[in-house]
Amino acid sequence: MDLEALAGCLSSAACAVTQVSTGLIIGMLLFLVASGLSLIFGVLGVINFAHGAFYMLGAYLAFAAYGLTGNFVAAMLAGALGVAVFGAVFERVFISRIYGRDVLMQLLLCYGFVLILDDMVKIVWGADYKMMGMPQTFALPPVFVAGGPVPPYYIFMIGAAVAVGGLLWLGISRTRFGKLVRAAAHNPQMVGALGVNTKLLYASVFGIGSLLAGLAGALAAPVRSLTPGMGLSILIESFIVTVIGGMGSIVGAFVAALLIGLTRALGAIGFPLFVDGAMFVMMAMVLILRPSGLFGRQV
Amino acid sequence: MSANGLLRDLALAAAALALLLLVPAAFPNPALVDFIIYVAAYGLLAMSLNLLTGYTGLVSFGHAAYFAGGAYSFGLLMQSGAVSIPAAFALSVGFSALLALVIGAICVRLKEIYFAFLTLAFQMMFHSVILTWVSLTGGDQGLMGGIPRPVFWGIDLADAGSFYVFCVVVFLICVVILRQITQSPFGYTLRLIRDNPRRAEFLGIDVYRAKLTSFVLAGSVASVGGILLALFASGAYPEFAYWTMSGQAIFMIMLGGSQVFLGPLLGAVLLQGLNHYVTAFTEHHGLVLGVVIVAAVLGMRRGLADFVWDRRETRRERRAAEDASAAGTGAGSAPAGAAKEGGT
Amino acid sequence: MTDSNRILRRRDLLKSAGAVAGAAAVSSVLGAPSIARGQGKVIRVGMPTILSGRVAILGESSRDAARVAVERFNAAGGVNGREIELVVRDSRGQPDEAARVTRDLVNSEGCEIIIDAEASSGAFAVHEVISDLGVLCIHTCSETSALTADPELHVPTAFRAARQGIHDAVAGGGYAADLAKEKGLVRWMTCSPDYAYGRDNTAQFIEYLAIFAPEIEIVNQAWPKLFEPDYTAYVTRILQVEPDAIYSALWGGDLVSFLEQANLYRVFGSGRTFFSGGLADPPIVNALNQLPPDLHSVFRYDPEYPGGEGNRKFYADYTALSETQPTHWSWQNFTAVQFMTEALKRTGGNTDGAALAAEVKGMEVSSPFTESGTISMRADDHTIVGYPVAWGRSIPEPKGFGNWVRGDWGEILEKETEWKQRQGYL
Repeated sequence: MDLEALAGCLSSAACAVTQVSTGLIIGMLLFLVASGLSLIFGVLGVINFAHGAFYMLGAYLAFAAYGLTGNFVAAMLAGALGVAVFGAVFERVFISRIYGRDVLMQLLLCYGFVLILDDMVKIVWGADYKMMGMPQTFALPPVFVAGGPVPPYYIFMIGAAVAVGGLLWLGISRTRFGKLVRAAAHNPQMVGALGVNTKLLYASVFGIGSLLAGLAGALAAPVRSLTPGMGLSILIESFIVTVIGGMGSIVGAFVAALLIGLTRALGAIGFPLFVDGAMFVMMAMVLILRPSGLFGRQV
Repeated sequence: MSANGLLRDLALAAAALALLLLVPAAFPNPALVDFIIYVAAYGLLAMSLNLLTGYTGLVSFGHAAYFAGGAYSFGLLMQSGAVSIPAAFALSVGFSALLALVIGAICVRLKEIYFAFLTLAFQMMFHSVILTWVSLTGGDQGLMGGIPRPVFWGIDLADAGSFYVFCVVVFLICVVILRQITQSPFGYTLRLIRDNPRRAEFLGIDVYRAKLTSFVLAGSVASVGGILLALFASGAYPEFAYWTMSGQAIFMIMLGGSQVFLGPLLGAVLLQGLNHYVTAFTEHHGLVLGVVIVAAVLGMRRGLADFVWDRRETRRERRAAEDASAAGTGAGSAPAGAAKEGGT
Repeated sequence: MTDSNRILRRRDLLKSAGAVAGAAAVSSVLGAPSIARGQGKVIRVGMPTILSGRVAILGESSRDAARVAVERFNAAGGVNGREIELVVRDSRGQPDEAARVTRDLVNSEGCEIIIDAEASSGAFAVHEVISDLGVLCIHTCSETSALTADPELHVPTAFRAARQGIHDAVAGGGYAADLAKEKGLVRWMTCSPDYAYGRDNTAQFIEYLAIFAPEIEIVNQAWPKLFEPDYTAYVTRILQVEPDAIYSALWGGDLVSFLEQANLYRVFGSGRTFFSGGLADPPIVNALNQLPPDLHSVFRYDPEYPGGEGNRKFYADYTALSETQPTHWSWQNFTAVQFMTEALKRTGGNTDGAALAAEVKGMEVSSPFTESGTISMRADDHTIVGYPVAWGRSIPEPKGFGNWVRGDWGEILEKETEWKQRQGYL
């Protein structure tokens, strides 16, 4: 424990900027993954255990597209849209067949896909460490904000995540589609009775949730090394975020992801050995005191 | 009923014991013996979890904490050299029961998915402690140096044959205990709580206490599985306490079936068997095992034992009502959205 | 069945598809895998390792290098006409699986020797099994010194053909101390993964650095967890602490992530010196988009060092059959097979664990990977000495390492003895 160092850091503007931006960098990728997980759970009631594998898939697809085209935008689109399509098809072909069954059956099905995807990635791309590479546009020296350096790519990454999160929130709270989604989360029979194509609705929700994971993977590909099985650690952290924020709440996922990001960033200075423990303690505290999460509907 | 049930269960257990003891003689293959021990350890983890999941309606994502608790406390006690195997065994189960009592007291207040995630959080904290407390647990290297097996009551567990008999006997005792619990009035109370907790409360049942008892019992039996695995691997490792271990237990239950008593055991046999043979067969075992799991889930939509049981029930009903048309029976496919559960 | 138990090459998809049906059928008959015991002709050698998940490259690069050595041995006629067949199994990094797989390899696959390519805790689990089974076992991937140094863990038939933390530390401490004096590097920081290997390796490096250059000062130590995907929090900490030099025991994909993320902040290149315990491994250098100049790393593997026909030939043979670049695990596994085959030749094909162990003890084999041309298995603690413990410097274009400075084995062994005494191992 070195809380003095932490206090010292927070009192200096440069250090505070670096650590807070670090929290944002970690938190925003986590937010993308967790909000997808949360959306799928909130609307479909499915705990998508394969969500980490979708993140991995997004990263590898971006890596492949970048290798083929050398175009960063193409890489991002390939990661996000590729996984979105995969997710929608996955819901239609597999998950939809076991609605109404034991929820844990879905977990088992997803586990099957984790095994398949991890192995497929290894078969297609090999077991070597992979790195997508930083596009020339972003290969610039860090920008200084109040004396604290922030790399341009991270500014872009945070911006992209916030923009996508904002769009998602607007889409769900302000559009007709969003109304249907919320209604479906609440009372699927009624939405079906109103003549809405619930199959399409479910597939789109699953697709959007997957898109978020794929986009997070694509955004991470230039800065994080790619290996088969890389989805495992982000999956567990996304669960923590989803639980703390409240399952099904996008705003909750945002706040909780920031919280976890800042805990990691500041913890690295103040309590490095207890960062992991702190995350689980937070999760337990929230569950005990407010089981539905900070922004979840009360049960 | 319980006396009769007990006698019948004991008779069945004796028959199973006789059968299992014949295995090494009939198939002189050490790998098969290893496999049975392995399945016994994982089977206890899955079956004890099903006492919570299948019978009480509590889905725990953190059950491996007690499995690891048993493995570590047993390993540490034996390495201390101060106690005999039976004493270490009893103390380890006691420790895990205590651990389950403390964690359970907090967790069982919560419902459904919240309960699941809270148990997960506690398990991961336990895992963190194992990793961090290096001086006691060896951290990520696990308990090094093996687990000594001094002779007790004339039994030498260093001998492979005796160890096999020991595992099988311990396993069957635990199975009989679990069976007795599920068939006892208490077991039916748990089912009532699972199906209709409010009704249980109206009937004057202390739901909290019943759930907690179930939680502690399940944790204790899981710790026995952990002890068996620690003896088999001659060490305890942090992986035992990782969330993927709890995940495996859930997958075994779902693969085997949660509504038939021996379903989770069948699941353990299936998952470990598949693992074992597919790994020996191809390097791409993830792909193969994944495809098998997906096919099983979509083909049966429930665990194997439940599937067989349901088929039998359906056939019996059909025979009983010959006049009814044969259409519309079997595993009906619920249309998406028409029947959906789990959303909160 | 026997045929399908051979190691399959990747992309053998058809075979795996067949295995779906096969495995389902087989699993219902929980009998013995149909391996005829005592085929007499081939000697089966089991290799438990990790072929899936984040460190799958460990298993792949171990297996492929072992295959190179085995194929050479077989091509040369084997021993008394008996060839070696390698049986590789994935433990998925689970120690209890590693134990079970190892037992299974010996008990039902008829393997008579084990090349253990497990990492970390898996190696300790295999070690326990070997003490039970008594077959010859050569560990090839665990660098934890205690595995062979601690007499309480000693197993008569178990050996280690892998580099070892304490050797690295002495050589690294000396090399870094020279540079510290030359360039005036006083303020040091460490950034290593938070697990046994990372902690031991870092502590020992610092210990010897301080012995050789007492004026240095450790200003900060960061401990990201193993397999941490994001190092930004640790990179920014480096910026705040502003050390003159950094030592890191990070390896593999973690090291790739760390360096790429550090590059974004321009951590290197402004006179800050980086010492790495794992950078000079071809797959890592390959994965990096840019390798900053003047990073220092301990030798892991280099097809050009030590120069010579043997090393180049190994590199060519390895890359011909593998889809990964060779790693330090590769040369270690190749070396393990060398010890094993030489012992088999000496026993005339007798695979008895004690008989083979007696031969391996103190054995010296010629090696394309060492400066001296030989490598030997120390008799008293069953671990290799004389392997390359050089330190070198990064070259950005073409990406690679050079300027190797050879470690002084005389000094390493002397310091190692003192260390063992301090640990109570002697």
